[in-house]
Order: sequence, then structure tokens, then C-alpha cells
Amino acid sequence: MPDQATPTVTKRLAAVLSWLSFRNISAIYIFAVIFIVFSIWVPDTFLAESTWRALIDSQAITALVAIGLVLAVSTGAFNLAIGTEVGLGAILVAWLLAEQGASVPVAIVLTVLAGGVIGLVSGLLITFARIDSFIATLGVSSVLLAVISWVSSDQQILNLSHSFQRIGTGEFLIFTWPVWIMIGVGIVVWYVLERTQGGRHIYATGGNIDAARLAGVKTRRVIVLSLVGCGMITGLGGLLLTSTIGTGDPTVGPAYLLPAFTAVFLGSTQFREGRFNVLGTVLVVYVLAAGVKGFQLAGAPTWIPDLFNGVALLTAVALAKYQGRAGETHVLLRLLRLDRLLRGRSGRGDGKAAGAAAPEA
Amino acid sequence: MGPRLLAVSGLRKEFPGLRALDDVSFELRSGEILAVVGQNGSGKSTLVKCLAGVYRPEAGTVDLGAPGEAGAPEMHFIHQTRALVPGLSTVENLALGGAGRETGPLRLSKRSERRHARALIGDFGLAFDVDRPITEISPAERTVVAIVRALDGWSRPDNVLVLDEPTAELHGEEVEKLFRVVRQVAAKGAGVIFISHRLDEVTSLSDRVLALRDGRVVGDVPVAECDHDQLIQLIVGEAIGSLDKAARAENREVVLAATGVAGATVRRAALRIKAGEVGGVSGLLGSGRESLAGLLFGARQRTTGTIEVLGKPLRAGDPAASIAARLAYVPPDRHADGAVMEMSVRENLTLPGLRSLRRAFGRLDRRAELREVRRWIDSVGLRPAEPGRRLELFSGGNQQKVVIAKWLRLEPRVLLLDEPTQGVDVGAKLAIYELIDRAAAAGAGVLVSSADAKELVEVCDRVLVMREGAIVAELNGDRLQEKRLLAEELGLDAAHTEQLFDENEEEIRA
Repeated sequence: MPDQATPTVTKRLAAVLSWLSFRNISAIYIFAVIFIVFSIWVPDTFLAESTWRALIDSQAITALVAIGLVLAVSTGAFNLAIGTEVGLGAILVAWLLAEQGASVPVAIVLTVLAGGVIGLVSGLLITFARIDSFIATLGVSSVLLAVISWVSSDQQILNLSHSFQRIGTGEFLIFTWPVWIMIGVGIVVWYVLERTQGGRHIYATGGNIDAARLAGVKTRRVIVLSLVGCGMITGLGGLLLTSTIGTGDPTVGPAYLLPAFTAVFLGSTQFREGRFNVLGTVLVVYVLAAGVKGFQLAGAPTWIPDLFNGVALLTAVALAKYQGRAGETHVLLRLLRLDRLLRGRSGRGDGKAAGAAAPEA
Repeated sequence: MGPRLLAVSGLRKEFPGLRALDDVSFELRSGEILAVVGQNGSGKSTLVKCLAGVYRPEAGTVDLGAPGEAGAPEMHFIHQTRALVPGLSTVENLALGGAGRETGPLRLSKRSERRHARALIGDFGLAFDVDRPITEISPAERTVVAIVRALDGWSRPDNVLVLDEPTAELHGEEVEKLFRVVRQVAAKGAGVIFISHRLDEVTSLSDRVLALRDGRVVGDVPVAECDHDQLIQLIVGEAIGSLDKAARAENREVVLAATGVAGATVRRAALRIKAGEVGGVSGLLGSGRESLAGLLFGARQRTTGTIEVLGKPLRAGDPAASIAARLAYVPPDRHADGAVMEMSVRENLTLPGLRSLRRAFGRLDRRAELREVRRWIDSVGLRPAEPGRRLELFSGGNQQKVVIAKWLRLEPRVLLLDEPTQGVDVGAKLAIYELIDRAAAAGAGVLVSSADAKELVEVCDRVLVMREGAIVAELNGDRLQEKRLLAEELGLDAAHTEQLFDENEEEIRA
């Protein structure tokens, strides 16, 4: 009887089809469109190997910073200080090397540690001082801007050694080092989020902090540690940025805020049904970059990248809102606290009324 | 009965792999109260969502008003998850619905709004602070606010009111108050669709019962023509035996001992739970009953008192430490505290006890996890049995099975359950009682806190009664009866209690 086999076959087919659906991997379809359009429009430059290598190299740091951000937002902590954390890492490593005479390894370790300390402070502000993550990280961001300005006196820091610059520009196989570092960090963060107890605790905390706490998850520790991890990764990103451009520039950091958030949000619409994830995030960074690159090669004006990224972010949120499947809550809406208004559930409030908001030991 | 207000015919709604509604037809007339009953997953919620226009049915029609009548009646919905704005007060929430605007649409008078809000709530015989944020009043009070808002400011009396599990969080007396208002509304000409899991309520309130099973209408009968047992049979599809109260051993070891515990609405409580017994806590809203289980577990911070589990003192307000001490706690509000709805069954089931699945480099053994989760899904009868499905896509009863299973998996010594069957249908209710029984048989000391006196009598060996923040009585054996419980909850004097008790005996004799 074929009836026995048919259900499992159709089930499997349905699973494959739903994985291939536009909603699940829209970025791949968009990439295909971008690729075809620009291959026809500007074939000579768009299809050149050098174009793609430059593209992959130039976006490695953005991807790295976005990976760090995945770690933070997965616990529900909106880290708005991500841009200035990059900026601090960039200026701190230059200052340590050029003005304090630190050796390269020492400067690297100190810079990454400084990123961790910033994450720790943000985390403690959110969990113990109970400041909303938006406000806490916005405040931290402003403080970091001041520190950057103070350390650098608003001047570029020059005279960085060649051995340091080689980290950002040196190549291994076909890519520069930052690409490999990004891939390495990406694998570690992916592993932690998808394969370990810590990852489950992170997603549970971001999903419902009260339920996670009652299930024995040490939610404060989870939030603090993921922000520390995020801070270390962004510190590393800043360091690589300085190494790549060869100077400590006090103005470079904030430009990473929007691309990182765009990638993380759009990335959450890929693969994992609305859950923040590393793979989707990295994919989105490169799909957006390919689109921007195509426009640039086709001679589009300089404001195109900003427009492209902005529209992409807005589309991500809109897509999430109209995801269509009944009863599902998209992570974006949850973070933006829209679902409570849309569904009219009193949500966290119930927890408070039930006294569940009592301080956690 | 008056003219027809609503006609539903041939309604069909399909989801991938599931026909949620199949050829559902019924009518609702002015002045009629129609109860819709059925197990979780029978299609009740889907029906409400089709009526509300949330879902578009594949086939069938929903017509409002009598044929040829000008100006169709409106439909008003009160959902399980009540649509109130959490940050606003009662007054402000009511004002959003247009209440109290005696001064015209542009000039909102705070004072008249407040007066109006108090008056509306007063109609329910309730008086609470209408200026407190909605999140700080009790669930029962919130239900009242939502209902008051829906009832307020109707342009015509013969509208359709849909109440989706309005009593899930209400206590006996409050339910009566609500029913009085619902009957008043129906008497004025409204048609009411009432959805509830509590069959007693169905029989006492409604005129007609519409029973759904697997998305089909299996019964559409006047209430007068069917009794409680027939109703259950309609819903479940087969006759079910009542739950056997397992013979539980006496003189077992004390697994939890609490002395002088205070915090939230509990002023002072001392109690002991023995291994293998099922204890209950009863009490009116505000008696301390609603906070006791959470306090014992550490979900809320206790201000004083000591709790010992298996002779070892328990840290206050630390769920992780409580779990390590082998306590388990099923909170009353599944959505807010019980589970991470956006995560899968599998992730929820193993969340509190991932340690046993941890391998080298912190890797989770996902294959072992899946095996274990499959076993639990089987053991609690989860429907549909899909470990990867998100919890929010399951019905209330099935969600609760997952919440309980995640604790049973850890083989707790003390199992604390707060309103374990809230918003759960008859079939799932029995399944949950069985799980409670199973936990006790496995040696856990169980404490069930519930507003449902009948449930406590059915499930528990003994029941503690709370009043004004303290445990005032314990009922067990023959004394464990619904009426006695109620009398103790209300704090009626001994003579009155005896009188009630005598009446009860007369009833038994009769």
C-alpha cells in the first residue's frame, strides 16, 4: 500500500517547501534578484572577482558587530551603544599603541576587555538599577562618545605600526583576516545560541523573562553575560576597523549602529521564524551590501546606501508585522512591545500583579 | 425569544493539516443566552475568531440581523485575553470606550469619568480603586472592567455580546454577580454567546447549548433538556468515569515545612506538606490564597518566615535555588509566567532541567532531548504531538500539560500548582488531575491552590482555608465538602456553618 509512505513523503516535502518559502529565506531570493539585475545592467564590473572580494572584506566588520548585537537582543536587551562601543574600541587601541607604547598583543587584549567592561556596566544598569535597556544603553552611548572625544582630543591618532595594520589588511587564503575572525566569532556565537544550555537560557530570557526566571534561569546573569560578550565582540570590531583604515578615527563608530540593527532585525526574519540568529544576520549584511554595491557600480548617487538600508529596516519590521500566520508573535513586535497592544494582553503586568516581579536573588 | 440577531451557516475554516471548523451552523435570537461548549481544540476559539473577523472562513456565512431589517446589530467581544491598556487606570480604560463623556467629546472631565467608572463597577457590587493602573488590580477586577467597557454605551439594546471564558479567573460569588448582569443584558434584548469550560455555569446561565467536537456541531439543545453528565458526554464523545482518588499512605515524611511565612497578601502562614499527599489551599480573592504557592516557591519575595524542604532551609525569592531543592511551581498565569510561548514544546519542556542533557563543551544532546520530549508528549497526551511546534499555537489545556510535564520531568519532591486548570476544558482537566495524582503517587508532596472549591474537593486529601492572610481552617475526610469550604472561606460563624451543613445533609437525604 502506498498510503503508508505517502504521508511521510508529503510531510517531508511540505517541510522542504516551507523552508524554501519566501518568508523563510526571503534574503536569498532578494539576493538572486539583485544578482540577476546587476549582472545584466553592469556585467563588466559587477561580475568581476575583485568586486566580490572587496565586498566580502569591506563588510566583515559590520557583520562582526551585528553578530555581537544578536547576542544582546536575543536576551531582550536593546544595545543602542553598539556604535559607540565600536568607536571606543577603535580609538582605544590606537591610543594604547601610539600614545601609551603598548605592544600589539597587550593593546588587543586590553581593548577587548574594555569592551567587556562596557557591556558589564550596561548589563548592571539594566538588571540591577532596573533601567530600561533602551535608556541604559543610550546613556552609556553618550558617555562613551565623551570618553572617545577625551581620549583622542577629537584628533585622529596616526603612526600605527605596520605589524598592527597587517591584522586588518593581511590576507589568508582569499580573504583578509577580519573575514576569518568574523567567521570564527560567528561560529562560536552560533554554537552558544543554538547548541548550548546558555543559548536556551538567552532565548528564554528574551522570550519571557518572568517565565524564564520561574524556570530557574538566572535571567540577570544571562543578560549581563550576553552584554559582556556583545561588548567584547564590538570592541574587537573597533580594533579591526582601526587596523584596516590605519588610523584611530574618533568619528567612525556611530555609523555601525543602523547597519547592525538592520541586519539583526532583517536577519531575524530568515531561517528561524522570527528568532534572532547569526546565520540570517550575516546573510542579510551581505545581501544588502551586494545591493548597495550594484547601485554604486551602476553610477547611482552617494545617498543610495543610506536609503537602501533605511528602507530595508522598515521593510523588515513591516514584514514581521504582516507575517500572517495566526497566533504567532514575531520577535520584533515583542521587543517593540507592540504585541501587547495588538493582542490586548496585559502581559508583564500580570506578572507584576502576581508579585512575580519581586527582586531576584 | 425575539427576532433573529445572528445566523451562522455552513462555516468551514481550515488550517494546514487541520479542519478547525466543519459545516458549523446555528442561530442566535434576541434575549437568548447560547453557551458554546467543547474541548480545547474543538473549534470554539476558531469560531469566535471567525465571528470577530480575525479569520476568514473558507466557506459559510455569518449574517447579522433579521432578513430585511434595516441597521444590523453590532457584535461585541470579550476575550480570554482582555483588551485593556495595561499602563492606564480603570477610569482611563473605560474612558477609551467613551464612558463618562458627559462634557462632550473634546472636554474630558476627570471627575465625571471617575464618577461614571465607580458607578459602572458599583453595578457589579464591586468597589476598588479606579485610579490604580490596570496591571495592579486583580484578574477578577480586570475581567469586570473589560465587561463593563463592552457593555457601556450601546446604541441599541439588541446587540450580540460574545463572552469568551469570562469567568476563568473569577470566584464563585463574583461569577454570580457577572451572571446577573449578563441576564439583565439579555433581558433587554441582547443575544449572548457564552463560552466556558465550567459546565455548572453553562447550565445555570444559558438557555441553549451548542456543543462542538472536532470542529463539528454535535449538539444544539435547550439546557433544560440535558443534565451535567449528558453535557460531558456530548463534549467528550464518550462516557468517562470519575477520577479515582488514590489511596495515599499516611505518616509519610514531611517534604515541606513552612513557619511564619509572610509576604504579598499572606500575613502569616504555617503548613506542612507530606510526601505522597495532595493538599489544597482555598480562599476568596485577597485572602492570601492567591499568593501562597508563589511565596513557598520563591516566585515572590517573602518578608519573614522560614521554609524547610526535606529538612534543609530554603533561600527566599530564588526560583533557581528552589528548583535545585526539588520544588516545582506551576504559576496561575500561563502566558505571563508559566512558559515561553514563542518557544517550542521541546524547548519549554527541558528549560528548567537542561543539566542532564549537557555534554562536552556545553553541547546539548539534542537527540537525547528529543527522545525524552517525545516520551513526555506521549505520557501527557499532548495534541498535536509535535515537539517542534511553538507553544503559543497549542490550546490552553495542551499548553498547561506542557507546563506540568516540564516539572514532572524533574521528579519534584514538592509540586505547587496555582490554578492548574484555569482556562482548560473538561477533558484536559481530567488529564491534569491524573498528572497531579501521578506526581503524588511518585512521592511528591502536592499543594493545589484553586478558586474552584469543587476542584479542591475532588482532587485533594485535605484543604487549608485562608482568610485575611492566614490559614484559618483545615478540612479533611468527611468534612471536606464544597459548602463547608465556602463557609470557612467567608468566615461564617459556627452556627451558620452548622446550618449550611444541615441543609447539605438534608439534600443528601432528599
